[in-house]
Amino acid sequence: MTGRARARARGRPPGQETAVPPVGAASVQQTFSSHPSGHRQPQQPCLPPSLSEEFGGRGRQRGPQNVPKPLGLQISAGFQELSLADRGGRRRDFHDLGVNTRQAIEHVRESKTGSSGIMIKLIANYFRLTSRPQWALYQYHIGYNPEMEARRLRSALLFQHEELIGKTHAFDGSILFLPKKLGNKVTEVFSKTRNGEDVKITITLTNELPPTSPTCLQFYNIIFRRLLKMMNLQQIGRNYYNPNDPVSIPNHRLLVWPGFTSSILQYEESIMLCADVSHKILRSETVLDFMYSLYYQVEEQRFRDACAKELIGLIILTKYNNRTYRVDDIDWDANPQCTFRRADGSEISYVDYYRRQYNQEITDLNQPVLISQSRRRRGSMMSGPVVLIPELCYLTGLTEKMRNDFNMMKDLVVHTRLPPERRQHEIGRLIDYIQKDDSVQKELRDWGLSFDSNLLSFTGRVVQAEKILQAGNVFDYNPQFADWSRETRVAPLISAKPLDNWLLIYTRRNYDIANTLLQNLFKVTPSMGIRMNKATMIEVDDRTEAYLRVLQQSITPDTNIVFCILSSSRKDKYDAIKKYLCTDCPIPSQCVVARTLSKPQTTLAIVTKIALQMNCKMGGELWSVEIPLKQVMVVGIDCYHDSLAGKQSIAGFVASLNQTMTRWFSRCVLQSRGQELVDGLKACLQTALRDWFKWNKYLPSRIIVYRDGVGDGQLNTLVNYEVPQFLDCLKTVGKDYNPRLTVIVVKKRVNTRFFAQSGGGLKNPPPGTVVDVEVTRPEWYDFFIVSQAVRNGCVAPTHYNVIYDTSKLKPDHVQRLTYKLCHMYYNWSGVIRVPAPCQYAHKLAFLVGQSIHREPNLLLSDRLYYL
Amino acid sequence: MDKNFQEEQFTGMIKFTPPLYKQRYQFVKDLVGKYKPKKVADLGCADCTLLWMLKFCNCIEVLAGLDTCASVMKEKMHTLSPLPGDYLQPAERSLTVTLHHGSVAHKDPCMLGFDLVTCIELIEHLEESELEKFPEVVFGFMAPTMVVISTPNSEFNPLLPGVTVFRHPDHKFEWDRAQFQSWALDTAKRYDYTVEFTGVGSPPTGMEDVGFCTQIGVFVKKYPQTSKPAQSEKPTEAAYETVFKAVYPSLKDEKYLQNAVVSEVMFTAQVIKQSLLDHLVSEQEKYNDNPTERKFQLQRSVNCFSEDLETQAVEKSTEPFVNGNVVYIPLKKIFSSPKVTRLCGTFEKLCKLITGKVTLSTDGSAVILNTEHENEEN
Repeated sequence: MTGRARARARGRPPGQETAVPPVGAASVQQTFSSHPSGHRQPQQPCLPPSLSEEFGGRGRQRGPQNVPKPLGLQISAGFQELSLADRGGRRRDFHDLGVNTRQAIEHVRESKTGSSGIMIKLIANYFRLTSRPQWALYQYHIGYNPEMEARRLRSALLFQHEELIGKTHAFDGSILFLPKKLGNKVTEVFSKTRNGEDVKITITLTNELPPTSPTCLQFYNIIFRRLLKMMNLQQIGRNYYNPNDPVSIPNHRLLVWPGFTSSILQYEESIMLCADVSHKILRSETVLDFMYSLYYQVEEQRFRDACAKELIGLIILTKYNNRTYRVDDIDWDANPQCTFRRADGSEISYVDYYRRQYNQEITDLNQPVLISQSRRRRGSMMSGPVVLIPELCYLTGLTEKMRNDFNMMKDLVVHTRLPPERRQHEIGRLIDYIQKDDSVQKELRDWGLSFDSNLLSFTGRVVQAEKILQAGNVFDYNPQFADWSRETRVAPLISAKPLDNWLLIYTRRNYDIANTLLQNLFKVTPSMGIRMNKATMIEVDDRTEAYLRVLQQSITPDTNIVFCILSSSRKDKYDAIKKYLCTDCPIPSQCVVARTLSKPQTTLAIVTKIALQMNCKMGGELWSVEIPLKQVMVVGIDCYHDSLAGKQSIAGFVASLNQTMTRWFSRCVLQSRGQELVDGLKACLQTALRDWFKWNKYLPSRIIVYRDGVGDGQLNTLVNYEVPQFLDCLKTVGKDYNPRLTVIVVKKRVNTRFFAQSGGGLKNPPPGTVVDVEVTRPEWYDFFIVSQAVRNGCVAPTHYNVIYDTSKLKPDHVQRLTYKLCHMYYNWSGVIRVPAPCQYAHKLAFLVGQSIHREPNLLLSDRLYYL
Repeated sequence: MDKNFQEEQFTGMIKFTPPLYKQRYQFVKDLVGKYKPKKVADLGCADCTLLWMLKFCNCIEVLAGLDTCASVMKEKMHTLSPLPGDYLQPAERSLTVTLHHGSVAHKDPCMLGFDLVTCIELIEHLEESELEKFPEVVFGFMAPTMVVISTPNSEFNPLLPGVTVFRHPDHKFEWDRAQFQSWALDTAKRYDYTVEFTGVGSPPTGMEDVGFCTQIGVFVKKYPQTSKPAQSEKPTEAAYETVFKAVYPSLKDEKYLQNAVVSEVMFTAQVIKQSLLDHLVSEQEKYNDNPTERKFQLQRSVNCFSEDLETQAVEKSTEPFVNGNVVYIPLKKIFSSPKVTRLCGTFEKLCKLITGKVTLSTDGSAVILNTEHENEEN
C-alpha cells in the first residue's frame, strides 16, 4: 500500500473514534497540562466522582426551581436530569437544533431538491414516530400553597389527585407533562399532608405543545431513554448497549458490546427515530493492568512516555459507577494515598474514599493517578479536574497501537463491519425489542405514541457518472467500484513534471530496494509522459542526522524532488525530513518505507502510484472531470487537533487555482488554545485570492467553501462567526468586488445509512446516490451524497449542509459540483467520501500537526507537497 | 430523601458530620461488615440509597427492598442495576437485587430466610394498626437472624429548633427512649430475640442525658435454628408486587465463568508465546548478526528441536515450544498462571471449560497458536 494506507495508519489522533472530541473553531477544550505536586492543595479541588453526585445531591433536590439552568428550551431541571445531565454529559445541542439557515437562503425556501439522475428505491435507518390524531403534549405549572420544598412530597401531594391527572405523567417537581388536557386552564385542588395540614395545589396550563415543538422533541428523547432503560440496555456515553451477548476477542482482552445509537428529531416530513448499530469496544482490563503489561514491553526510561502515548485521549469507564472520562493527563507525582478535600471540608485519601464509598480496595498504592478535565458544569461554575485511580478504571476503545495492528483490526472488523442486510436486521432488533416489551409498549400507549415497525423507504437519485479526462483521453469507469486506476494506467497525464534532477537517499541495507525502485520508475514513467533522468543516488547511515546532513549538502536549486527510502516506519526520522523540506528548504519530498517495496509481485503497482504522487508533489496534474461552472474558486477547510500534547489545533486551507480544479493553493493556520480560528482563515482567503488573481488575471466571481471538521453542536458558531468573517474578508479585497459565496459544512460522521433494494435483498447504494428528501432537516438546505464505494460493510453517506449561499445555484448544480469534486483527489484514482479540497486540507493539516508543527514555506503553496 | 432533608433543616443549629442519615446508613454498613450476612432486606427502602450502598458489600448475595410507595423506588431503582464494569469482570459472588412494592403489615414468602432485616426510620411512619402487625410480620413471620430498627428519639427534639410536634409531618409518633425500649424489649421477648440499644447523632456536650438523636435497636434471634419447622404453617401467597429485579453477572454462573476462563487462557497464551518468540530471536541474535540469515537459522533450530522432541515434549514438558509456524503452549503451563488457577480451581475444570472454545493440540494438552500473524503486514 502506498501513502493512503500509511496516512491512515499513522493518521488517527488517539481517541477520535470513541470520544466526542470538540472539533472546529468554537469550543476548543482546555486540557490539563501542568503537573501539580503530589499533595493536592485545597484551592485546587480535585475530586473523585462523589456519592452525592450519583444520588443527585441534596442541594439539587432541595429546590430545582431555584437553580437557573443554562438551557434555552422550556424544560426544567428535573427533566434535564432524566436526559443528559444524569449521565455526566454536559448539555450540548448535539443536533444543532435551532440553527435555521435555510430561511435566509432565498432560492431554496420553496424547494431544496435536485432533479437529475435516475430514481432509486432506498431504505434508511429511520422509523417514523406517530402520535394519535390531534395529539398534543400539555405542560402545566404546579404551585403549592403553603410552599412545599421537598420534591417527593410535592409529587406525593399532587398524585393524591390521580383521578384528575391520570396515570401517565412526567413531573419534575414543578413542571408537569400530561398527554391530556384538564377541564380548566387553572385547576385548584387540595391535598392533606399526613399530619393533617391542608395544601392548596394550583395546576396551571402553561403550554399546549404540538408534536413538532422543540420541547416535545426533547420530551420524546427523554421518554425514549426511559424505554431503553426499561429494556435493560446499558448506557455508555450517549449510546445504549446490550451487555448480555458480548463478542469476546480474548487475544487482546477486548469485548465488543452490540448496541444502538439513537435520536428522535424533526426531519423533512415527519418526526423520526434515527437508529443505528453501534459497537462499544470495552476491555476487561483496568488501566493499571494495562500499565503493567506495558511496563514489561518497554524500557524503563520510556515507560512514562509510552503510557502517555497510549493512554492520553482514551476514554475510560469507572468500575464503581457508570461514568466515562477522557484521560487528559497522568500525574506520576500523585498516588492513591494522596488526599483531597471533600465537599464537607474534611480531608480524605483516595484509598479511604473508595473503600468507604464503594467498598473498592485499592491494592497498588504506588500507582499514579489519571487526570480528566471535567467538561461538566455544575450550575454556572466549571468543576475542576477529576482524579481517577487506574486500578478502578476500565479501558474502552482502541489504542493507536491496536489500530495499527492489522490482525486485530481484521478480527474486530468481522464483528463491527456489517453488510447492509445484517445491519438492517440489527437495527430492526431495536424496534423488535420495543414492540415485544410489554411495559415499554404500555408506556408508549399511555402517551399516545408509537413507532413505525418498518424502516423508512423512499426514493433517491443516482446522478450520472463522471467522465475522467486525461490529456485528451476520456475514460469511463465502472460506477460500481468508483475506481479508474486500471482504466487510466497507461494514459499520459494532463501535466507531467520532469524528474531531471532528483535525489534518491537510502541506507546501505536498502541498496537493492533503491535499485528496484529506480528500474520500476523507468518502466512506468514513460507512458505517463514523465521525463526522467537517473537519480543522484546517495547512501546514508540509518540515523536522522545523517539524512539531514545529506539533504543539506546535496540539494541544489535545481533539485526537483527528494526521495527517501526509510528502513522503518519510525516517525521521528520521517518528521525530521519533512520538517526540513517543508520549512527551511522547501523542496517536494517522497518518503517510502523500504518494506513497502519489498514484495516483487506488488512492486510495479506501488511504484506506479508513487510516480503519480511524486508528480503531484512537483506541481503536476493527473486527471480532471468536466466543471461547467466558470470563474469559481473552491475552498476546502479541515482541522487537526493534537489530542496528545494538547498544544495546538491546525486548520488546513486549500483553494483551487484554475478552472479545471487541478491545481490547488494551500496554507494552514496554527492556533494555540483558546484562539479563534477565523482570523487565520481570513488571511488564508486573502492570499488565496491574490494567488488566484496571479494565475487567472481576474478574481473569481464565485467562491464555494467546503468546511469539514465541524463538531456536533458547533454549527451555530460557524454561522454566526466564521461566515461573517469570510464576508468581511471579501469586502477588504476591493470596493467593487462582490463575489457570490457559498459555505457548505461537510460531515462524514453521521448515523444515517442508506440501503438500496435490489431483488429481494439489500445492497449499498451505488456511488453518486443523492438524497435530499425525507431524512434531511426542514430548517436546513442540506443533502446526502454517497460518493465512494466500499468493499465490505455499509457505505456511509456524507452530509452536506449549505449554511450560506448567495450563489443562486440550483440545488442540483451544487450537488453535482460536490460529487464532481469527490473525483479530484489525486492520491486515489477513484471517488472519495468528501470533495477533494476537504481531503487535501485534511492531509495538509495532518502533516503539519503530526510532523512539521509550523506553517510550511509558502514557496510550496501551489503544489500538493503534503500528499 | 425528604425525610433526610427535613432533618437536615431542623438540625441546622446542631450540625452532624457526616449528616445524620449517612451516619445511620454507615451504622448498617458497619454491622454488615461485622456479621457478613448473605441475605439482607431493607424495609421502607424509599429511594434505595441504603440498598445502593449495600450492593458494594461483598458478603451480600441477596438484597431486597420493600416500600409502600412504588414511584419513589422506581425513581432511582436503576442505580441498583449492574454496571458495565460488573460485566467486564464478573464478581466472584452472585448478587440478586429485588424491589418489592408492599407493606410491612403484610406477609409475603419472598421475605423469608433473611440474615438481616433493616428498618431505618420506618416504624414512626406506621399507622397504629400497621404498627400492631409489624412485630408479627417481621419477627414472627420473616424471622431473620438479625433486625435493626432505628427511630427518632423524641427527647432530642428540644435541641432541634423548629420542631414543634414531630420531625417530619408524616410521623405518626416519636418515642422517647423509655417508650422505644419497652416496645423493643416486649417484642424481643415475645419472639425470642435479644435486643441491644444504641444510636447515632451524639448530643452536644453538656446535654448528654437526652441520648442519641436517632435511637437504634439491634435484635438478634436467640435460637437461629428454630425458624425451619415453623415455616410450614406460613402462608405462601404473594402479597407484594415485584417492581425491579437485577441479577448480577457472577463467576458462579457457568456462562460468565467460561468466558472469563477462555479469555484469560487466551491472553496468558499470547503473553507466553510473545516472550517465547522474543527469547528465540534474541538467542539467535547472539550468534548471528546477519539479519537475512537470522530467520532461516531460527526456523531451522526450532524445527530441529521440535521434530526430535515433539512427542515427548507435549507429553511431559510444561514448557512451550515452537514447531514450524505453530506455538504449543501446554495447558499445565497456562494453569500455573495465578489468575487461571484462581478462576478454575482444578486443572480438570480448566480443561472442561475451554473445550470447544480454544484450539488445542491433537492430544488436548496444549493450546496452539500461529506464529504466521506476527511476520505479516504490521
